[in-house]
Order: sequence, then structure tokens, then C-alpha cells
Amino acid sequence: MRLNILTIYLKEMKEVLRDRKTLIFMVALPTLVVPVLMNIMIGFIVRAEKKAQTEILTFAIFGAEHLPDLANAFSEEKGFEKVNLLTQEAIASAIEENKIKFGLVIPQTAREQIERDEQVAVRFYYNNASATSKVKNRAGKVIREFSERYRSERLAGLGLDTPQEQEHLLNPITIEEHNTANMREVLGERVGGILPYMFIIFCFMGAMYPAIDLGAGEKERGTLETLLLAPIRRYQIVLGKFFVIFTTGVTAALLCLTSFGVMLAVKVQEITGELGEVIASVSVVDLVLIAAMLIPTAAMFAAVLLSVSIYAKSFKEASAYCGPLNFLAIVPAFIAMLPMVKLDWYWAMVPVTNISLAIKELIKGTMNYEMFIAILGSSVVIAGAFLFFCSRWFEREAVLFRQ
Amino acid sequence: MIEVDRISKTFRHRKRKGKAPHQKDKREDGKLFYAVRNVTFRAEAGTILGLLGPNGAGKTTLLRMLSTALKPSEGTARFDGVDVVERPLDVRRRIGFLSDNTGLYGRLTAREMIEYYGKLHGLEQAKIDKRMDELFSLLEMTAFADKRNESLSSGMKQKVSIARTLIHDPEVIIFDEPTTGLDVAAAEAILNFIESCKVKGKTVLFCTHHMHEVDRLCDFVVVLHKGRLCFEGSIEQMRSDTGQTHLDKAFLTLIDSSEVNHAA
Repeated sequence: MRLNILTIYLKEMKEVLRDRKTLIFMVALPTLVVPVLMNIMIGFIVRAEKKAQTEILTFAIFGAEHLPDLANAFSEEKGFEKVNLLTQEAIASAIEENKIKFGLVIPQTAREQIERDEQVAVRFYYNNASATSKVKNRAGKVIREFSERYRSERLAGLGLDTPQEQEHLLNPITIEEHNTANMREVLGERVGGILPYMFIIFCFMGAMYPAIDLGAGEKERGTLETLLLAPIRRYQIVLGKFFVIFTTGVTAALLCLTSFGVMLAVKVQEITGELGEVIASVSVVDLVLIAAMLIPTAAMFAAVLLSVSIYAKSFKEASAYCGPLNFLAIVPAFIAMLPMVKLDWYWAMVPVTNISLAIKELIKGTMNYEMFIAILGSSVVIAGAFLFFCSRWFEREAVLFRQ
Repeated sequence: MIEVDRISKTFRHRKRKGKAPHQKDKREDGKLFYAVRNVTFRAEAGTILGLLGPNGAGKTTLLRMLSTALKPSEGTARFDGVDVVERPLDVRRRIGFLSDNTGLYGRLTAREMIEYYGKLHGLEQAKIDKRMDELFSLLEMTAFADKRNESLSSGMKQKVSIARTLIHDPEVIIFDEPTTGLDVAAAEAILNFIESCKVKGKTVLFCTHHMHEVDRLCDFVVVLHKGRLCFEGSIEQMRSDTGQTHLDKAFLTLIDSSEVNHAA
């Protein structure tokens, strides 16, 4: 019996590994494309951030004569370049045309207000549409420092000479933060949702094409009927095919996980400080536990996809069914990315979502291991139930010889 | 020897709205549709039995039941006394089934594919190798045995299918329209091969639409029409019963008279 299953498994694997499309979905995409895309994305963000911090910010200032010290503060600061505009009304259009990055308008009464210890409102024009823009931060810093200088002088005039005395007056009560979440937990919460989502999607994608090929494809080519005439039981055919689809799904997911593991190992050498320590704290055991979670996931997908594929009469029909089936993987995995969804016993009972949430907890380093065992166990049971259904489904003449 | 004993196959048919009573198919019985109904015949060892019938007669369903792909709803069939319902796996070890629409695994070579079926039939590797050598020589396949099936011509593919059918040296061989889509030379090679099976004492069930092939190969024929058996006998008997010398016309006469009987 086992020999028959093994014979079918080895033959199907040989065919699968000779198929370019399967290799792309099973090996190339999860191994290469995702890390490459992530590297490109991270590189792009870092470059954009760096550019925003170092680029020369052109600006226009009106009313500089009313507060020359502030105008001088910008002149003395590196990274700022003054541009002359004819009128104040031209500021908005100049920003729009990218001639200047920001505009300042100092009121005529600024000097008198300063002398009377009043507050001066300096108008600041800028475009806040860009997510990576640092204009407000950089220009605001110069203005803040200028403002703090006056504030310090005023407080000294009140007899508060030391910075400590001034601080006590300005902030009688301060908040001393003691965050119980460590850095790994914080980072895990922020980025930990996307990783299980990707693992699950690759698990599904890696299994989908071979499932279509091994079920509907074999029906369409007319080879299924010859296989049914071999002196083997039908459940052996199902198991042989199931293990192939399971292998491709789990391989795709594990390759994705491995490439992330390798990326982390490389990055940990590049990144120093707390972030480096966080990455280093994701241990091999964590990765092994994540891999353990992906095994029943791949088994569930393999059984469902094979059932659907064997029902379809043709490759085209199977593809049409499997497309919408994608949502069965995407939606539950996506739910785990929502900020209000946390792993508790309720969510631990929702298939796929529980896997996704458990992987997120493992990345955060806050896994409840009782829950881990429950999720793993229930997923194995569900996968077994799907496989049993698939095996019975394969016995039905109306499915195999559907007209 | 093949013994088919009152075999029937029913399917639940879909309701078709607006169908007038006179349009009702005689094969419909309540919710059931009889694709094959109460068919009985036998074929002795070392003979070639032709299975004839127009499209939709139930030939494919009958062959699927005989090959154990489908389970009979009523009745049974036996191959050398082995029952298709009770011992389907043993039946599969005894039969080889070749159809025009059975495909090949495109990404495997001919050798890999035939070896695969040898293993599924439980043969030892040494026996598979010996049998492959025999078949490759017999079917003149050596030149393309290690090429992928997807790169082969129709004739070559049909030879691979024959080798796949015969790897376990079955006692009974079922051919379902084996020459469809083949050129003259390839079809001739197949027909010669079927003749050689008879010489070797194999029992052959040969299903075809080509009457010249029937005339050339078959010892006996059975004719199916609308799921029922409408003739069983020798070629000569088919001619004499219908009064037609040409087998094509004899066949059509049988079908016409069966149609009249159905209508009655």
C-alpha cells in the first residue's frame, strides 16, 4: 500500500519539478522575488528618508526686518537657501511649482510683541502631502530653537536663572514612561502581521498550480482514467497526489520563511543598537515553530485544492474555481493584520486566522504555548477532515466522470 | 474469457423543463437514466469480440464498467471467473485498456511512464525492464523510448499507450477505438498488433466505428443501441440476419430495426 502511494508521489513530483510554472510559484517567487522586493522597498524608503533630511530647503521670508534674528537663524543653519519672491501672495504658487519648499511671514508687530513679552504668530506655509517630507520638522526645529532662546531670556528675567528652574516652572508634572512592551513586541505588533500573511499566501500559491495539474489537468489529458484502472485503491491515488501538493505548498512557504531568516541573519550584522538586538532575539526555535504552524496550513490547502480540482472537468474550469478560493486564504490571513484583532481563545478557533495570529505572536515573542498547541492540534484535525472528505469525494463516480 | 451477465448502469438524470412526453427517451425510468440496460454476452479466450454501436449507445459506459472504473448498478461481469464487483483489483491485474482518448504524461519519457505503470501493477524492477525491452522491440519504440511524451507524434504516442496497456501482460485486452486519429500506417500497425494478440491466445474486446476493421479482425460482434444489446453473433450471422453483404449496411439495418423495436 505504502509503495503504491510512494510510487505515485515520486512520479508526480518528477512531473511537477519538470514544470516551469510550478517551479516559478514554488521556488522562484518565494525565494527570490519577495526578499528582492523587500530590499528594493526598504532601500527606497531609506533613500527617500535620507534625501528628506539632507536636501537643501529653499524658502521665502517676508517681514524679516521685523525679526532679523529669526531670518539670520535660517541663514546660519545648514541646508536652507533663501529665495526672493515679489509678494506674499506668490508663496502658495511658488510651493506648488516647487520653487520653494516653505514660506515664512513675520508680522509687522513682531518686535513690539517680543518687547512686551507677548506671543508672536509667524505664518508657516508648506505642502504636507508627501509622506516622507521633513520640511516641517527641519524648519520647525530652527523656529523652536529661536523661540526657546526668547523664552529662556524671559524666564531669566523672572529670576529663574538655571535651565532646571525654568523646566520646573514650565512642566510642574512630567510623565515618566515605563513601557512594559519590549522593543521586539512593539516591532512584532507593527510588522508581524504582514509576514504570516505572506507565508500563507505563498503556501496557497505554491499548492494551487500543482493541484490543478494533478486533478483537473490529469482528467483533461485522459491520464486519470488509466490511473483508475491500475490495481490500486483510490484513496492511495488521493494520498499520493495530496502529498505532492502538500510538499509544493509547504516548500513555497518554508522557502519564503527561510529567505526571511537569511535576510534577518544578514541584516543583524548590518544593523546595530536596539533594532539589531531585536532581530537577533528572533531565534531558530521561533522559526521552527513558525514552520510547524505552516505544515497543517499547507495540508488544509492541499486537501481543499485537490477536492476542487478533481471536481473540475478541465484545467480552465479548475482555475476558475481556484481563483475565488484564493480569498479563503487571503481574507482570514488579512484579518490577523487588523489592529483590533488579538490572539485569544475566540480567534484561536478560527482556521487560518489563528495560524496567522500565532505566527505574529511568535515573531513578537509573546506566544501562549497552550494556545499554540491548541491551534496546531485543531489545524491538524481540520486538515485531516479535509483529506478524509477529499478521499471520499474521489470515490464518487459523479465527480470523476462528471459530464 | 469475458462473461457479461445482465449488466446495467443507471445515472440520475437532470430534469429538463418543457420536454414533451413524446420526446421522452425510452431509457429514462423515473429519475433514472439507463445508459446500459440488462446486457449479457460472452467472449471466449483467444477470440476477438467486436463491440459496435452508434454514438451514445452506451459503449463507453459498458467498457468503463468492465474495466472497473464504474460500478454496475445491476448485474455483473467476470474475467476468467473473477467478478468486477467483488474483486475489482484482481480484474484490473488481468485486463489492459486502451482508448483513443487516454492521454500520456507529457513531461515523462515513454520509458518512465511505462515503468510507472509496471510499478503500479506490482511488478519487480527486473521484470519491468525485461518486459519493456520486449515491448519496445515489438512496437519499434527503442528510438523514442527516452524522449518526452509531449514531443512524440500521434503514432508514437499510440505505441506508448499500447506499451502502457500491455506492461503487465494482461489476459484480456480492451481496445476502445484505438485507430481514431491515426494515419494509415499507424492504424495498420495497431490492427496488426491486435491480430497478434489473438494468436497469443489473448481475449480481445474491440470497440470501433470502422466496419472494415471489424470485418478484418473480429470473430464475433455485439451491437449496442440505446443502452440495450440488439445483436450478438458472428459476422456472417450479422450479414445473413440483415440480408446485407456490406457490413456498414448490415450495421445500419440492425440499428434501424432496433429503433423500430424501441418505438414499439
